Amino acid sequence: MSLDPGALPVEAPAASGETLAQVDLFALGRRASAARDERLGRRGSFVRARQLLVGGTWRGPRDAAESYADESDLDGLGGLDVARAAGVHTLIATRVSPVARAAADGGLRVVVRVPFRAGEADAERLARLAEIDAAPFAIWGALPSPAGEPYGLDTLKLFALSRLSLPRVPHLLADAGALGPRLAQMAFGFGADELFAPIVAERALRLGANANNPALTRKEAVMLIRGGGLVACERVGSGALEEVNP
Amino acid sequence: MTSFAHIRDKVRAAEPLSLEDGVALYQHPNLMELGALANEVRERLHGDRTYFNRNLHINATNVCEASCRFCSFARLQPGDKGAYTMTLDEAWGRLQARVDAADPITEIHIVNGLHPGLPFAYYTDLLAGLKKIQPSIHLKAFTAVEIFYFTKKFGMSVEAVLRALRAAGLDSLPGGGAEIFASRVRKKICDDKCTADEWLDVHRVAHRLGMRSNCTMLYGHIESAEERVDHMLRLRALQEETGGFQTFIPLAFHPENNALMKLPGPTGVEDLRTYAVARLMLHNIPHLKAYWIMLGVKTAQTALWFGADDLDGTVQEERIYHMAGAETPQVMHPTEIIRVIQNAGRTPVERDTLYNVVAEGDALVPDKPFRRDVRRRGLEVVS
Repeated sequence: MSLDPGALPVEAPAASGETLAQVDLFALGRRASAARDERLGRRGSFVRARQLLVGGTWRGPRDAAESYADESDLDGLGGLDVARAAGVHTLIATRVSPVARAAADGGLRVVVRVPFRAGEADAERLARLAEIDAAPFAIWGALPSPAGEPYGLDTLKLFALSRLSLPRVPHLLADAGALGPRLAQMAFGFGADELFAPIVAERALRLGANANNPALTRKEAVMLIRGGGLVACERVGSGALEEVNP
Repeated sequence: MTSFAHIRDKVRAAEPLSLEDGVALYQHPNLMELGALANEVRERLHGDRTYFNRNLHINATNVCEASCRFCSFARLQPGDKGAYTMTLDEAWGRLQARVDAADPITEIHIVNGLHPGLPFAYYTDLLAGLKKIQPSIHLKAFTAVEIFYFTKKFGMSVEAVLRALRAAGLDSLPGGGAEIFASRVRKKICDDKCTADEWLDVHRVAHRLGMRSNCTMLYGHIESAEERVDHMLRLRALQEETGGFQTFIPLAFHPENNALMKLPGPTGVEDLRTYAVARLMLHNIPHLKAYWIMLGVKTAQTALWFGADDLDGTVQEERIYHMAGAETPQVMHPTEIIRVIQNAGRTPVERDTLYNVVAEGDALVPDKPFRRDVRRRGLEVVS
């Protein structure tokens, strides 16, 4: 589906002379949140997941409800089939690629990264999103992924744009590690519905070598989602969402 | 119960909001609606204009008699691990280095610990020496907490302290040390420094002497929404009386390396909400600063749409919040600040401390090529 010019004033920024930076932030946020709510309700989710790393080791809790691998690690892992045999059921794809398609066709859940760089042209982002929207296979989620340090508003507008221009992709993930927990939380006001972060049982103090550890406790994840105005839900082993009350 | 529509009507009619209104805004579930209203006021006051300056921070000593539980900067004794006190030559050298580098800074921001062993002459000589190096530099120095400490330590009145410092070169006061005015909170987090009334009185006297000042609020620790709004109302009342505050700066609590490190600290949404509420409550304080050092650049930029109209400055060598875990760089080049503001769809304006325009529009030409990946500098050890 292409962008609706009437509903989205950023549809043709080059033609109108309007850039994303000039779009009404609040209107965009409201529209993206409404699109999320219409599809999923006012629910924000998280999952305790573990990642399969090159060499076959796992990063994440032993009792994780889900497991994933990153497309960039597949070669080192020995391929998609090896990852699947190890128990991976989600692939974080770098882009709409043959590997992502093979994963989807093979029954894996596919999350596609939406790479972006601070200050890049709006047209580049729209083209990237259009490519994801046109993917000939099912994409479960989109994961905006900054290259370098992202800007705040720039990132939030990309979230809103992603939600509005990817109607076939149900989930929009906010990466707390890449964006920082503050910006990831704000993304819930711009269409995001899932917090993507390593969730641990107990947080170590962020000191010394641990200073930049992006891991969140379950309690912190719930606090961020609820603070973002959504009902916090945890995805459990069966894939079902369970509401979490503090 | 105050409805949002009722508050919106009051804001549009330029009527001051009440404590009840402020608490209702903190509880309002729709952040976008709250932000849009705050942005309305921000744009009514300043349009798209967004201010920054070129400044240098000097924290001349971290030796401090006060034992504030939220502080990661202070060391109680001169010999304690990590304690430092700059010699006057070292402090002056910070400015001399900027002058030698032809860096056109317009302001020095000086905030220190409450050092029990330094004579009053240290502070007057510090100011006088800086003015000697660059007579045009604006010296925004010493929080009300420091000024009050000087009155006790040196047996002088607030007015006498301020007059003596002004004679040495002091131009205005920074807004730090306000924390939260509610006595319940002060007793728990900073019970051995000046009271709320004493803090306010220092600013009252400064304003009466013709000096401008800023004001702050440290939020996100143990205070309630009512206590935050009460804090804002007390500032608003003094502003009604004197008109001397230029800028309100909400300061996000950082929970690393201090006695409150088990607290989570404010979230991004809480930051934006606090900025929006502040813009709506403090109708008579012209500027609202998103201090990027504490908020982080991403949140500070976003706050430019939630009421803020100022990003502070280039800073250089900030220590107080970096020792509390701030992960921001210690310096941001004007080119980067301009880019951040423009990316937010705002119009950058370089100002001096008193909000006189230094450069805007075509005159605002970055003097170095744009470089996005600002590296964090390690803290230099000062003995």
